[in-house]
Amino acid sequence: MIDPIGFMISWLTIFGIYSILAITLNFESGTSGVTNFGKVFFYGLGAYTTAMLTVYLFLILNGIDVSKTPPYDIKGIIYLGELANKNPLLNMTLLLLSFMLAFMIAGITGYMLSYPIVRVGPAFVGFTLLSTGELFRIFLQHYDPAGGSRGLMSIPNPFAWVPDARTRELLFLLLVLGVLTLTYVTMHRLVNSPLGRTLRAVRDDEVAALCLGKDVPRLKATVLFIGSGFTGIAGSLLAYYMTSVNPDMFVPAVTFNVWAMIILGGMGNLRGALLGSAIFTFFDRALSFITPQLGVTIISPDYVRGFMVGFLIVAVLLYKPQGLLPEGRVETPAWEEQASFNKG
Amino acid sequence: MGSILEVQSVSKRFGGIIALDKVSLSVPQGAVVGLIGPNGSGKTTLFNVVTGFYVPDAGEVWFNNNGSSERIDGLNPNDVFAKGIVRTFQIPRLFKSLTVLENLLVTPLQQKGENPLKALNPKAWGEEERRLARKALSLLKRFGLLEYAHVKVSELSGAHIKLLETMRGLMTDARLFLLDEPAAGVEAGAAHELFRLVKSLQGDGYTFFIVEHRIEILMQYVEYVYVMHNGKLLAEGKPEEIISNEKVIEAYIGGGSA
Repeated sequence: MIDPIGFMISWLTIFGIYSILAITLNFESGTSGVTNFGKVFFYGLGAYTTAMLTVYLFLILNGIDVSKTPPYDIKGIIYLGELANKNPLLNMTLLLLSFMLAFMIAGITGYMLSYPIVRVGPAFVGFTLLSTGELFRIFLQHYDPAGGSRGLMSIPNPFAWVPDARTRELLFLLLVLGVLTLTYVTMHRLVNSPLGRTLRAVRDDEVAALCLGKDVPRLKATVLFIGSGFTGIAGSLLAYYMTSVNPDMFVPAVTFNVWAMIILGGMGNLRGALLGSAIFTFFDRALSFITPQLGVTIISPDYVRGFMVGFLIVAVLLYKPQGLLPEGRVETPAWEEQASFNKG
Repeated sequence: MGSILEVQSVSKRFGGIIALDKVSLSVPQGAVVGLIGPNGSGKTTLFNVVTGFYVPDAGEVWFNNNGSSERIDGLNPNDVFAKGIVRTFQIPRLFKSLTVLENLLVTPLQQKGENPLKALNPKAWGEEERRLARKALSLLKRFGLLEYAHVKVSELSGAHIKLLETMRGLMTDARLFLLDEPAAGVEAGAAHELFRLVKSLQGDGYTFFIVEHRIEILMQYVEYVYVMHNGKLLAEGKPEEIISNEKVIEAYIGGGSA
């Protein structure tokens, strides 16, 4: 039986997490022209920061010696499962702490990575970030404190103390949508401000922007700090939602899925990013819900989704090259002045 | 009146090619000065040195503004701009996806709303934005572009684009405009229109240093002309002197190295 409410909750949760990625990528690449092919790197940083912080602190604060019983050990995993719902305050504190840390670590890494890369052309920015993401994934596969290639499991959900599963899922969904709203409002304000206008100018013509006194490297570093910070929080939410992280979750395909969303929705348009993410995640969830019902096992839902999204992108680019929702003008009070100037 | 820009025996080499060979010139405050010369004579290279795109191998560039004198060679382009020098390009470099009004609004330096934290709070920058918008709109009105305020630059005509590129400098405290071929690719009527605006801005106290290939237009509007050839300063003088200067005629007709 298909469970419509369960489907909605799971779709909206995934939609919320991916939308944070799509909105920030749209800010970085759509508005500011920083070709970020390493989205998954910052996403993974946030997820692993959260996972490690939560499982280690959970065990340590519960008096377990992590040098003897590390969280990736089978005993550690069992302890985590048993302790997850004992102390709501601990869960919530760890949630806040990992949000802050994920934001800072991913943000500062983005800021520092910008130093060598924003001084080269856009294509090199893309490839440097892409390969940094891959290096990070390979590093994680061999990094034992993070569980190596098996990753970390049984990450206590912040709402694990809520007895009813549906309520728990709903609470988590609310948390995701709350973070999404915060991200959206932040990006919306940044894009529709003199800063957003300057970033678009840098995207259009870096040399001209430089000639007009804009500090282009610093602007790009700021963009990568803000974008990556919020991406880190998205990673944090993912870690809690999946309750596990492993290196295979952070393959380059994740980055390109987010790119597909913003190309589909419209580069430079925040609502377009939401729309692209909604369409993409809907296919994803719908196919993984429907496939088992049909009993089809020959075709993986991944391929069907890949085909459908690819088809959609080609169709949209043929008829609306700027995406479903094209970029609008920078909305500032300047336009009100224009309206009254024309009248008077 | 003193000079606003002084170039003192500036040299610039690219590998074996000497693009600028001990070039010295000065632009008087409040003047409209031309810079001509055959293709490859080093005019744009000189502009690039003055505006910080190239660091000269030898020589100095001085900018005198409001009684203070500063050495500007070796500064970054954004810092040169901040001193009060604005340039345009042979092929205009406007921000294509922005509207006409936005292209002007993007220019002023250190806007409050360009700070990421202040940008989050529209109240922190709204007043400044409105003031800048009024300034930009009256500029557009003065130059007859008001009806295009909301139009994207990619939909604008060539002459309007040249005009807008020059106007950007008026949004700031820039005193010296370096125009690189303002009349290129514009029909004669519009080119004259542009130069008439330059003269009217000269009346407001701005200084212009203009590279132009269309000498017949340029000569009608400048007070003084420098001629470059093979990276060297070949001649200088009033327009009527330059037109009859045999060395200049030789350089233009002879083309290559003498």
